[in-house]
Amino acid sequence: MRRRTSWIALALVGGMLLTGCGATTPAPSNNSSSAASAPKTWTPDATIEIVAPAGPGGGYDMLARTMERTLTGDKLVDKAIIITNKTGGGGATGWAYLNTHKGSGNYFAANSPQIIQNNLLGVSTLSYKDFTPLAMLQAEWEVVAVPKDSPYKTGKDFFEALKADPTKISIAVGPALGNDDHIQFLKLAKANGITDMSKLKFVVYPGAGGEEIPALLGGHVQAMTISLGEAMEQYKAGNLNILGISSDKRLEGDYAKIPTWKEQGIDVVFPHWRGVVGPSGMTPEQIAYWDNALSKMSQQQSWKDAMKKMNMDVYYLNSADYKAYLEKSTQEESDLLKSVGLIK
Amino acid sequence: MLDSLNYLALGMHEAFTATNIFWVLIGGILGTVIGMLPGLGPATGVAVLIPVTYGMNPTTALITMAGVYYGAMFGGSRASILINTPGDASAIVTCWDGYPMARNGQAGKALAISAWASFVGGMISVIFIVFLALPVARFALKFGPAEMFALLVFSLTATVTLSKGNLLKGFISLCLGFIISTIGIDAQTGVMRFTMGFGSLQDGIDFLVAMIGLYAVTEVFKNYASLDANYGVSTSDIGKVSMTRADWKQCLGPILRSTPLGFIVGVLPGMGGTIATLLAYSTEKQINKHPENFGKGAMEGVAAPEAANNASSVGAMIPLLTMGIPGSGTTAVMLGALMMLGIQPGPTLFTQHPEIPWGVIASMIIGNLLLLAINLPLVKPLVQLLKIPQRILLPMIMGLAFMGTYLMNYSASDFFLLVLFGIGGLLMSKLDIPIPPMVLALILGGMLEQSFRQALTIGNGTPVLFFTKPISIVLLVLAVLSIVYTLVKDSRAKARISKGQAA
Repeated sequence: MRRRTSWIALALVGGMLLTGCGATTPAPSNNSSSAASAPKTWTPDATIEIVAPAGPGGGYDMLARTMERTLTGDKLVDKAIIITNKTGGGGATGWAYLNTHKGSGNYFAANSPQIIQNNLLGVSTLSYKDFTPLAMLQAEWEVVAVPKDSPYKTGKDFFEALKADPTKISIAVGPALGNDDHIQFLKLAKANGITDMSKLKFVVYPGAGGEEIPALLGGHVQAMTISLGEAMEQYKAGNLNILGISSDKRLEGDYAKIPTWKEQGIDVVFPHWRGVVGPSGMTPEQIAYWDNALSKMSQQQSWKDAMKKMNMDVYYLNSADYKAYLEKSTQEESDLLKSVGLIK
Repeated sequence: MLDSLNYLALGMHEAFTATNIFWVLIGGILGTVIGMLPGLGPATGVAVLIPVTYGMNPTTALITMAGVYYGAMFGGSRASILINTPGDASAIVTCWDGYPMARNGQAGKALAISAWASFVGGMISVIFIVFLALPVARFALKFGPAEMFALLVFSLTATVTLSKGNLLKGFISLCLGFIISTIGIDAQTGVMRFTMGFGSLQDGIDFLVAMIGLYAVTEVFKNYASLDANYGVSTSDIGKVSMTRADWKQCLGPILRSTPLGFIVGVLPGMGGTIATLLAYSTEKQINKHPENFGKGAMEGVAAPEAANNASSVGAMIPLLTMGIPGSGTTAVMLGALMMLGIQPGPTLFTQHPEIPWGVIASMIIGNLLLLAINLPLVKPLVQLLKIPQRILLPMIMGLAFMGTYLMNYSASDFFLLVLFGIGGLLMSKLDIPIPPMVLALILGGMLEQSFRQALTIGNGTPVLFFTKPISIVLLVLAVLSIVYTLVKDSRAKARISKGQAA
């Protein structure tokens, strides 16, 4: 109850700020025209605002800025797009801000599994249900990496050793428990029949890859669970080995040698995805507009090139599939986090 | 050796284009301005530039961003010296002697020392980077949780030297800082601590908010008592903005010692400018013949941290350029920007695109020269700030403090914290409890705790790691020696004084 009150306070503050910069913020579409004469199709009626719920330079910000470039550059929308960075609460500040525009089709926010996990972990009272899922857009894959001179050469070796003694290996994870890096490892441990998962030695590095990689290269931890993007330069330079990747089939090019978990007999396929949600209360016409615009965006060459530069796969799900996916992963992740005692 | 020089020549060739020099200049000026404004640090400055770098080639983009980074190191100390409000985190230490110098009528000299120390520190570090980048990067890998913890403990011994005689009050301040640093979600277990149901406290209290509150807001509150006075400094003799031969003699040692120290700390992951300046300051204070002058306007107390923070900003580029690992918040933002340009800094960058890292290194030489040329003439106009009557200056400081706070997290709830810390700081100064140890604990507390617990997890719940890793042992022993040495020196000094009184 207390927490709810503070969120209301936060939303109020957000609202106040919003009115404060009313001059630059277009008012939400005021559907005063009667329902009878409402058009069947909807198009954005004011400047479009993409909320990146984190500071400039991070994953959300890069997604928002790439969207802006493809959507306006390839003329997929005919209104200007602005990007707003709202940091704090592991994304919650930005998402709470999004819902100050309930029912508007001109606003959406970047999101990721954080929206599920923060809710499960009790960090945020907001869940995906408070928003309108619009599209999943990109995915990168998770890996487990070990130093190049590690005794473990395959995923099987590694998990056999952990099964025999779950405290044997220190595993770097970051920036916090309960994120996709952590959940990948829990899924792998479960699939390998490790029962006492709460004994696993996770060493949490709040600085994420920037601290995990030196820790692994310096031999302070023996493994790390991380996204491929953060580990790949060291992999290419031959400084570390990657035991397996969470994709459904092998990647191409430099990463063709990395075996998937699946082909090693470990049944785990797990994208680390990002997508966009709109505020609650969007109309079917608004959703249909963005289903159309965002699916087109995902097929643009400029979008594919930009994703490639950021080492992401284009991974498009439309609004309906995305919503179903969110439902399913919420259930799965809730079960996993319970098994390690992170949630009750 | 010769290879390095060849590559440097390549880098010079790359950096000495009109475009690149132009952007170094823009980056440097922008960085200086951003560094001066409290709350706006180099990370924000680089982030602001991201859209501008879209169309650039990667070398130019990186050169521009690096310009902002060390420009901010030059600029950060301006506000520390003139209004006791650090422009960014690594300029906190400069307040301790820079502001007293300004109050003693030496604002111009303090600014000049800071510009020269920044320049010398930056230039020597560029030489280090040319010849030592790879071995230093390898050495930094030896720092695991146990070593980090030991290094942090060692830098905390500075508390003893910062307590100005009253050790007990120093420790009270330190403990308060540690308590506040535990607020928020605990990274190792995901448990919420002391958030009292406030969603805005989940991420913990940003030490920059605390710092602006404790310094700037407290300063304003204190000065409201004497609203009609100006700083009580005769503005005529502030005009002296150069360093004399004697000043150089006094400052050169601290600068030369602080530079390598700052450089190495900058290379360590997650450490950065603030810790570099702290270590430099406390080292200088301990070896100085007149440690009692520190905190009262000692030139060495400005020169040492200023050299160290510039050196650390150069050092922080090493993990980024050699391994693709961001060693600080600023370099993390740079990494993101470079990835959008299709360049992934990493271990292969030096071999595959040598023109990029070496172009950046060469640009640092140009950048440092340009920054000195920009910053020295700025001293005179900046000093005029002190002529502004308090009744106008204080609201300006307050405005800057609120603006800076908001720009950090775009969170209005930080305003409450800012005022709370301002009031807290006022109470502390009335009770004669020193503020620096608290700020120190706020900055280091989180890292200290995390590295301690990481080491415990790895050691299966035992502290065995601290006593088996050589670097950790050495640092812990040094920490103990440093405390003992200070205590002994203090008690001897006291004995001498009492003897003198008896005689």
